[in-house]
Amino acid sequence: MKRKLIAAIGVAGMLVSIAACGSDDKSDSGSKKAGADSYKGQTLTVWAMDGSTPPNWTKDVTAAFQKKTGATLKFETQKWDGIQQKITTALSESTPPDVIEVGNTQTPAYAATGGLADLSDLKKEIGTDWAEPLNKSAVFEGKQFAAPWYFANRVVIYNKKVWADAGITGTPKTRAEFFTDLDKIKAKGKAEPIYLPGQNWYFFDGLTIGQGADLVKKEGDKYVSNLSDPKVAAAMELYKKYQSYSKAPKDKDEATPQQADVFAKGKTGAFVGMGWEAGTAIKANPAIEKEIGYFTIPGETAAKPEGVFLGGSNLAVAAGSKKQDLAKEFLRIALSDQFEGALSKESGLIPNKTSLNSNLTANPAGAAAAPAAGVSGGTTPLIPEWAPVENNPNPIKSYMTAVLNGKTPAEAAKAVEAEINKRLSQKN
Amino acid sequence: MSVQTERADRAGSAPADTIRKGDAPRGGPAAARKNRAGASVPYLLLLPALLVTAVFLGWPLVKDGMLSFQNLNPRQLILHLTEWNGFDNYSEVLKSSDFWKVVERSVFFTAANVVLTMLAGILIGLLLARLGKKMRLLLMLGLVFAWAMPMIAATTVYQWLFAQRFGVVNYVLDTLGWHSMADYNWLGTQFSTFSIVTLLIVWQSVPFVAINLYAATTTIPREMYEAASLDGAGGWKSFTSVTFPFLKPFLLATTFLQVIWIFKSFAQLFAINGGGPDRLTETLPVYAFVEGVGNQHFGMGAAISFLTIIVLVALTGYYLRIALKNEEDEL
Repeated sequence: MKRKLIAAIGVAGMLVSIAACGSDDKSDSGSKKAGADSYKGQTLTVWAMDGSTPPNWTKDVTAAFQKKTGATLKFETQKWDGIQQKITTALSESTPPDVIEVGNTQTPAYAATGGLADLSDLKKEIGTDWAEPLNKSAVFEGKQFAAPWYFANRVVIYNKKVWADAGITGTPKTRAEFFTDLDKIKAKGKAEPIYLPGQNWYFFDGLTIGQGADLVKKEGDKYVSNLSDPKVAAAMELYKKYQSYSKAPKDKDEATPQQADVFAKGKTGAFVGMGWEAGTAIKANPAIEKEIGYFTIPGETAAKPEGVFLGGSNLAVAAGSKKQDLAKEFLRIALSDQFEGALSKESGLIPNKTSLNSNLTANPAGAAAAPAAGVSGGTTPLIPEWAPVENNPNPIKSYMTAVLNGKTPAEAAKAVEAEINKRLSQKN
Repeated sequence: MSVQTERADRAGSAPADTIRKGDAPRGGPAAARKNRAGASVPYLLLLPALLVTAVFLGWPLVKDGMLSFQNLNPRQLILHLTEWNGFDNYSEVLKSSDFWKVVERSVFFTAANVVLTMLAGILIGLLLARLGKKMRLLLMLGLVFAWAMPMIAATTVYQWLFAQRFGVVNYVLDTLGWHSMADYNWLGTQFSTFSIVTLLIVWQSVPFVAINLYAATTTIPREMYEAASLDGAGGWKSFTSVTFPFLKPFLLATTFLQVIWIFKSFAQLFAINGGGPDRLTETLPVYAFVEGVGNQHFGMGAAISFLTIIVLVALTGYYLRIALKNEEDEL
């Protein structure tokens, strides 16, 4: 009886303090003192993915977190390659990283493992206006297992000098115009028109979405490969045409070598990438900064941009973390309108609330990304079964390389279907 | 065979010598006591090695064996669940055609590499024996450097050498007039990927074989060659009837070691192309990793690695039998 009473008081106390944090800023600053003392000396570890945490945002968030809680914030940057294995192992440890950035296509799988903490309370508190498409991936069996952080989709990043040298003015509004421009650069013969390795499957997924198809389909109650769909083949043919303008390896993805590093050499007309990749190029060659421009990947008609894969990232709290409250404090700060807006402004990422979208106009990459995200964006199916498909060696990538090396899309699809279906039916 | 017993005799006589020397001043009953205490010395000396083996090899092996009978995926790993599923993993692996393809590939890959390594190693070893002092030192240095190179560093160097766009190899071939090789993708097909890995592995393994062989040749008494030439033996004949019989046990032992090392080579294959293209260069260790850790089917991976050990034992069984038989002969 007594224990129940204590628990009830504890819960009530927590609710009050949460309400206090959320409702208004003044009482928040009043309770700041108490918070600062209780968390003093603690360190919160946050795993963020490569490119997610731009320098100014990171600095400001760290400072704000320190000020509010008295605890230290430690960001650890992770690479996408092999991330699933890393997260699985980390979550199984007794001291996992407290907060983890999880890609939206992989979130359902982690929610299903039971390694992520239930954040339903937090959703009620700060997430009532989170953008629905982004939030979808964070909900599993009715519970909120992560907080949506940002959306990102690819744009064309181009070298203004190369384009001007080839006599091109303005940026293409349709796919046909884009190809004409690439032809002009090719005819000029001084630069590689576009750098596109054979396995940029995010771009391919975008083209697939543009054709109105999906990589997998539901058959009965099971998901199976949809690569043999003629619409997917059409998307792959488009990819092949783009790829024919590039000397990039057909069996590598955009990270080996980093396409931004190739672009930084100044001998490449364009590449399809995330806005923040321009930063990578500038870091490799500061002189390239003034030549960099962005435009939306053009579609069939000027009215509707090309389909894009809406990569999204969620922030999840490890169920095994002993700093649940502190982790939620971090989420409150990082996902606040102030910092969410700052992130969009600095990186050109699409924020988790539509009300914050105005921040994008300040960022040229964001401005180029936004038109496509709204009308042409899509994702891979948000199901736990999807994540294994992305594991290396990714069969979608094998399919792409096979087609680029001369197989027909139908043959190539046939060759990898068994593998995809096997992965989609893996039991947990 | 005679060589081996002779070697064992020599080795056996060495400790006896030292005991005799040490005991000489004291002699008598003291020596007997010392001998009794000395009887446990070999076991004490063995103990650290046995302990290390048990902790770092035995225990993981037991763990691996236990995992191979479990259904262990991310969910079970994260929630620390133990779900026994009997022989499910094994039956699933043994039933998949992929596994058998990988076994076949591993065997051929090992055979090709061992043969090439042994041939190159023997030739260089014999060359070492014939070279003058300075050239021998130079060659030895080169061999030792190749041997000392860390595996991943060497793999990275090879990756760059054979890189498609900026690799030295393509550049040289192009400059020499073979223009179609300018942007050749070495990692594009199964054969060319295996060729690079083979070159890398042979380059890494040759020093051990060559230096070993050279060391072995120094044990051949000169008189044997003189006797052979008096009997009218030419170069080839004296090789087959003097050099080769002396080297045979060394060759056997080195081949045995090479089979083990090459069969289990993982870093080179995995780092160069991740077992690609299209999983066509996955040998058993890589397959176990990709299925187990990569696809997060940890129980399945454990089962595959256990089967890998069995295949390896089968491959080396022949030598093991000879070695065990020799031991018996000598006893």
